[in-house]
Amino acid sequence: MTCSSIDLKAYVLGELPESEKGLVAGHVRECASCGEEMERLSLTHLALVSLRDEEVPRRIAFVSDKVFEPRWWQRVWRSGPAMGFASAALLACAILAHGLLRPAPWAGPSVTVDTAAVERRVAAEVNERINARVNAMVSEAVAKAVFDTNLRQQRRTAELLAGVEKKYDLQRKADLLAFEANLEIVSKQQARTFMASSGLEVKP
Amino acid sequence: MIFREVEDRDLIAKARRGDVDAFGILVSRWEKRIYNYLLRLVGNREEAMDLSQDVFLKAWQNLKKLEDADRFSSWLFRIAHNEAFSLLRKNRPETALTADPAVADRSARLYPVELTLAVQHALTRLSDDQREAVLLKVYQGFKFDEMAEILGCPVSTIKSRLYAALDLLKDTLAPVGARGVQ
Repeated sequence: MTCSSIDLKAYVLGELPESEKGLVAGHVRECASCGEEMERLSLTHLALVSLRDEEVPRRIAFVSDKVFEPRWWQRVWRSGPAMGFASAALLACAILAHGLLRPAPWAGPSVTVDTAAVERRVAAEVNERINARVNAMVSEAVAKAVFDTNLRQQRRTAELLAGVEKKYDLQRKADLLAFEANLEIVSKQQARTFMASSGLEVKP
Repeated sequence: MIFREVEDRDLIAKARRGDVDAFGILVSRWEKRIYNYLLRLVGNREEAMDLSQDVFLKAWQNLKKLEDADRFSSWLFRIAHNEAFSLLRKNRPETALTADPAVADRSARLYPVELTLAVQHALTRLSDDQREAVLLKVYQGFKFDEMAEILGCPVSTIKSRLYAALDLLKDTLAPVGARGVQ
């Protein structure tokens, strides 16, 4: 890199890309004249940036200027009473819209309400409903108990019947065996009698 | 800075819709930079203050013409540049250079106020174009292409003015800067 190709001012002013900054810095370290020039430029820049900004003597404001004056609708819009009026109008619109959009209630003739009668009627209605509910629950419980009892009785009857049948079955079998034994005895006696009457020797 | 730019964009959008308060916030954010730029350019506080008022008034009147809100700073400084040079062309006399007491004794160490006076004086020795280039670059931190947009001239012209200004300032301020940072 030669002295003529070095842009020291761009370096000092921060306009050089990062890739060139290193080259310039390297050249400045090796070249005495460019080093001196760089020092002078850096000191100049340092002196320049030492100058501090002054505060603005007075606030820059244009509110009083014609161009900043609000238009008639802006003045109306920003005024307090107008905002109050706008709020009231908005509320009225909301109520009106609510009234229009809500389903119309029953529009019967106006009646005088007897509060005591209404209370009595309500109490009666409540009692009636409670009684009906209790009766229904009692009936349901009784029906269930009856059903359970019947079920238990049926089971008991079935068990007893089964026991009886078993008992009589055994008895019948015993009777049948006894009958068969008796029948055999009778048959033997009849045979002896017949043989005796026929003159046949009866062997014991 | 990113958040600041986003907020500026929001404020600009509101101001475009006629929100004076939003524009007031923009003014409070930029007035110091604009005022100091104009002060160093015209060298007179009252004139700088009046010009600042004019700059923000024109900004308000022409805000809808701003096409890109991200370029608000360049656009605002463009207005300030036009206002300042309109005044400079009209009534700025070619004043003779005056001796600067701050740099009279070149051996003594400078106090901050002397350094400030030396810099201010050195800036007055530049041409208006050169001084403006230094102000936009050194004090406002604009890049060359942004300066070209503000001043309405090619980047090469900007660099030419700025480099010439640095050569002039270097002779005066390099020794001052050396003594100022001792």
